[in-house]
Amino acid sequence: MTAESSTREINVDYLARVEGEGAMYLKLDGDEIIDLQFAIFEPPRFYEAFLRGRKPSEAPDITSRICGICPIAYQMSSINAMEFAADVEVHPQIRALRRMLYAGEWIESHTLHVYMLHAPDFLGYESAIELAADLPEVVTHALRLKKLGNTVMTLLGGREIHPINMRVGGFYRTPTQSELDTLVEELEWALGMSEETVRLVSGFEFPDFEMPYEFVALHHPDEYAITDGRIISSEGLDIDVSEWTEHFEEIHVEHSNALHCRLRERGTYHVGPMARFTLNHDQLTPRARAIADEVGLAKGERNPFKSIIVRSVEIVLACEEILRLIDEYERPPEPWITVESTDSVGHGASEAPRGILYHRYEIDPGGLIADAKIVPPTSQNQSSIEADLREFVGPRTQMEDEKLKWQLEQAIRNYDPCISCATHFLDLTVERVN
Amino acid sequence: MPWIIIGVGNRDRGDDGAGVAVVEALTGCATHVVDAGALDMFNLWSETDDVVVVDAMRSGARPGTVRSFDVRETPLPGETFASTHSFGPAAGIELARALGRMPTSIEVIGIEAGDLTVGVNLSPPVVQAVHEVTRRLASA
Repeated sequence: MTAESSTREINVDYLARVEGEGAMYLKLDGDEIIDLQFAIFEPPRFYEAFLRGRKPSEAPDITSRICGICPIAYQMSSINAMEFAADVEVHPQIRALRRMLYAGEWIESHTLHVYMLHAPDFLGYESAIELAADLPEVVTHALRLKKLGNTVMTLLGGREIHPINMRVGGFYRTPTQSELDTLVEELEWALGMSEETVRLVSGFEFPDFEMPYEFVALHHPDEYAITDGRIISSEGLDIDVSEWTEHFEEIHVEHSNALHCRLRERGTYHVGPMARFTLNHDQLTPRARAIADEVGLAKGERNPFKSIIVRSVEIVLACEEILRLIDEYERPPEPWITVESTDSVGHGASEAPRGILYHRYEIDPGGLIADAKIVPPTSQNQSSIEADLREFVGPRTQMEDEKLKWQLEQAIRNYDPCISCATHFLDLTVERVN
Repeated sequence: MPWIIIGVGNRDRGDDGAGVAVVEALTGCATHVVDAGALDMFNLWSETDDVVVVDAMRSGARPGTVRSFDVRETPLPGETFASTHSFGPAAGIELARALGRMPTSIEVIGIEAGDLTVGVNLSPPVVQAVHEVTRRLASA
């Protein structure tokens, strides 16, 4: 930190609790915000370009490489798009297996964020390691919970990182009932432990802060949407996934290498656990609903710092759903069906741990991918993150730099931003002109 | 060879794959590859094991330089082992220490990386170093 009479700067290197390369820049003149940017300088990765000319069946395996934390989300959205393009529907039990696998990813990703990345903020620790030294039992349980998520992904997806078993039309191999049954005992433990997690994190101290978000999430008539659904919002949007481009646009802003997304009509919107919780509140599973009620987490919660509670409730929901689906499982007659299409367009979306992940593919007359578009949740939330930061700083400009920096980093982590699975680096600068 | 050998790294990132190359060259002992998420690395050992972790390092030394660190009592020097994931081996070891899950002995062997370009093979000095480390471990 350097301090001078007119300009003050704070730089934080190697902040290990944000996924990818990003930075925040804040310039203040007295109480006035001159400039505020949440920048992503992760270089463009050109996935959309190198999908061109590939077979539709390759899209799940190629796009799953975009993220080591949420590969299932990438596989699922691309599979949905290819099945949409071919106008096919898979067996209900194939859909159930996809939901189980996806719920495993939620458990793994949410547990990592809640305990290892976000909780240290609230408890005043620099990292999860310091947290572990003081509360070893909590961290041991967290790691066991995360490992269960990995076990689910390994059993259904073939391996825990970049799974390979899910494919367009189904799975390469479906599990037997007895294989799924091996998960039950640990899932029952996890269900209880995730309820304890909700109780623990709801006791944290939260800044008094709310934002008038427009929440956007998938909605499914029969269940808390994970793998698919229509796109709805708290302002009345209710569209099929294929209508995405009519309602959403991507804009390039100079300070960021990731595109900013906007609702064409109303601008900034918010995707992720808080949006899902409010928009699909009626479909919470029984124990998820009971624990949310117990800790006073209500539909419509708009304090982003409380997203840690919502994520914890979604871990409960994920455990309950896998248990239910194992109980109702019947091995499908075929592991997969053939999916082929030519000269068509496919749209697919699913609820990645961080929010809606939208894919669109054009398939040429020869049956190859002619064009691809991938819109990840963090790019959709970039404007919302900036809006939060701006609003949060407003009444706190007199806060000392170190404390302000800490709380702003925390505000960014509310979104669990996943900039990529490359080097993890956040450079945060606060500049005071006067 | 009663040890557990853990190779950390990504074989698709040039010299970052040094630790993995050592593990692949070893036979007759318990080996593991950690290519991401070293956070709960302690699940690979028990408190009574002797553990060696082999990883690429960036300390500013000449590529192929081999250094050994006894981390049973002392943490790894900060930021020498630059991980491409949020929780690298240094964090994994410190988490094990915090949770009381350290093995009987644990040594980290660092091989200085030169070229970390995506998709390239190990550079010649690192190939040399991999041979050297493999020989040492195989004869131990």
